[in-house]
Amino acid sequence: MSEPLLDVSGLGKRFGGFVALDGIDFAVGEGERVGLIGPNGSGKSTLVNCICGTLHNETGTVRFDGGNVDGLLAHQRTRLGLARTFQLPRPFPSMTVADNVRVPLLYTVNARGHGFLTAADIATRCTDLLDIVGLAHKMDKWPRDLTQVEMRKLELARAMAAEPKLLIADEAMAGLSQVEVADIVSLLIRLNERGITIVLIEHIMRAVMSFSQRLVVLVSGKKIADGPPDEVIRDPEVERAYLGQ
Amino acid sequence: MRAWPFLVAATIVAALVFYCARAFDNDYVFFAGYVVLQFIVLATAWNILGGYTGYVNFGSAAFFALGAYSSVFFHKAYPLPIPALMVIGGVVSGIVGLGTGYLTLRLRGAFFAIATLALAVVLQTLIINWTYVGGARGAYVIRPNEIAILGSYIQYLFLLMLVLAVIVICTARLIERSRLGYGFATIRDDELAAEACGVPTLRLKLIATTLSGAFMGMAGAPFPYYIGYIEPSSAFGLAYAVNSIAMPMIGGTTTWIGPLIGAILLGLLQQFATVTISSAVNLLIVGMLLVDFVIIAPNGIVGLIKERRTASNVVVEPTVFVLLFALNFSPVYFLAGQGTGAQSIGLVFWLILAYVAYMRGRVLGRWWLIAFPLAGVLFAFAPVIAAIPVTAATFVSALLQIICVVCGLLPVRRPAEASAR
Repeated sequence: MSEPLLDVSGLGKRFGGFVALDGIDFAVGEGERVGLIGPNGSGKSTLVNCICGTLHNETGTVRFDGGNVDGLLAHQRTRLGLARTFQLPRPFPSMTVADNVRVPLLYTVNARGHGFLTAADIATRCTDLLDIVGLAHKMDKWPRDLTQVEMRKLELARAMAAEPKLLIADEAMAGLSQVEVADIVSLLIRLNERGITIVLIEHIMRAVMSFSQRLVVLVSGKKIADGPPDEVIRDPEVERAYLGQ
Repeated sequence: MRAWPFLVAATIVAALVFYCARAFDNDYVFFAGYVVLQFIVLATAWNILGGYTGYVNFGSAAFFALGAYSSVFFHKAYPLPIPALMVIGGVVSGIVGLGTGYLTLRLRGAFFAIATLALAVVLQTLIINWTYVGGARGAYVIRPNEIAILGSYIQYLFLLMLVLAVIVICTARLIERSRLGYGFATIRDDELAAEACGVPTLRLKLIATTLSGAFMGMAGAPFPYYIGYIEPSSAFGLAYAVNSIAMPMIGGTTTWIGPLIGAILLGLLQQFATVTISSAVNLLIVGMLLVDFVIIAPNGIVGLIKERRTASNVVVEPTVFVLLFALNFSPVYFLAGQGTGAQSIGLVFWLILAYVAYMRGRVLGRWWLIAFPLAGVLFAFAPVIAAIPVTAATFVSALLQIICVVCGLLPVRRPAEASAR
């Protein structure tokens, strides 16, 4: 196999005296669907933030798509094809739903240099993207008019607009009902079938199990398991971390 | 409208303004108009940073004064025509804007505002101690009386500021509808999410601080020629900092038209107050209107027109209703008997009183509340029109407003209670 799409090695991050991440090694191959789980405070979001450049890791390296991305700013990593959604949706409240999706088109796709999108192209892309997530009928609404699940979908559409190679979905389903969770999972699988590698960070085990081809478990800033989902959840160490001794 | 037609339209409007001003055949119109135009430029420039990206700059006066002092410097060192000085002032203030941006990149919200305030203090201290440009004593810049073609020199200054205003407004509008405008708005909304969408937030913030600073400097460059004598405390005056924030806030910060409306409204009002009452009352008026607008219409006049519901929500709380009423009644009370000019300024506050009463009336289902402030207006102008003594008119008017407040506070009898009795 050639080099994985995302390759994290020896990643470490501290907040003062607190070790948030301790030597994480973690690779994601092209086209994979990976689930990342772990109890609250185990460092999942910190790992995402370090991969995406929101936070900077103190030790270790992050390689993406064959190049070292350490030292690159978040927007530069986005332009390389590393998109993310936020744990709590962070739409741009002063813009319409369509304009929210327009931003990454303007700043990521157009900034890559191969072919400039015209205004008409952008408008079509906005409609297409919102169509994929099922928000096309709310194009001209404001984020404040959306429900929780629609907000998550907007978050996904906005991440997708950047034409990512890798999409990291940080708890895209927290607080949603079962039907809504199934809705988002099938959406993510559809996106994966379009050729996008996806890392899903989630608490809801049902969702993770139905989505992931591989499962990675973080506990207190350390990786304790990595493998096929069925094996990983039967791992005694994982059970201990989740259910207590 | 696309950019070019808009530029043409703006130029035509500007030409009309200039033509009308000349029709008055009175230099005072140009002196007053210059100040209003200068505020249009300052407010729009402030809005590029403060409104579009959400970074509140309290140091507008510093950028303005830098432009003015670079003119003073060249006036002594190597006299240049004013358009060239405006470009130089813009470059100097733009560079300082860029530097400020670099130094304050990590600061947000209140901390950024404090840093810009500090910048103003530091620069003022520097200028005070720089004797070449006059230091604390100030510097005289004698402007020629006449200029070719136009005749009066003030008309020339007015025209320059008019052109600058057109340029600044067209730039602001262009930004608003471009990729840059989207980027600025994402910074205002959520910087983390903006970065995740590929927006280079640092670079965009630098563009905003540079552009905003440069335009303020350009507005300041002709100032020494306008005023004739410049000293640090007037160039770094509080009026510039306060006005360039208040005008966009009152007009509305998200569009180019907001600062324009705010600057015309407040600028004219202040010129009017200077003539009819005194120039010292200007900032008081601005301050009171700012309080009103922050409470009643946080998104300015533009926001008020777009979303009508907000104001009636505000006066649902009886305390807010009473305080707003008291705040706006105090100026009209003190303006009573000060002559027609002062009454006309009072009219602005009467208008707000009527609005507050109307909104409170809607909340309580007593639409007639608006009649009291309207009657108050009649009584305010009564001594001018008929021969009614001022004291009597003021007394009746005050009484009416007290009745209005009381009626606005009486609890509403619920239909259920009414039928129970």
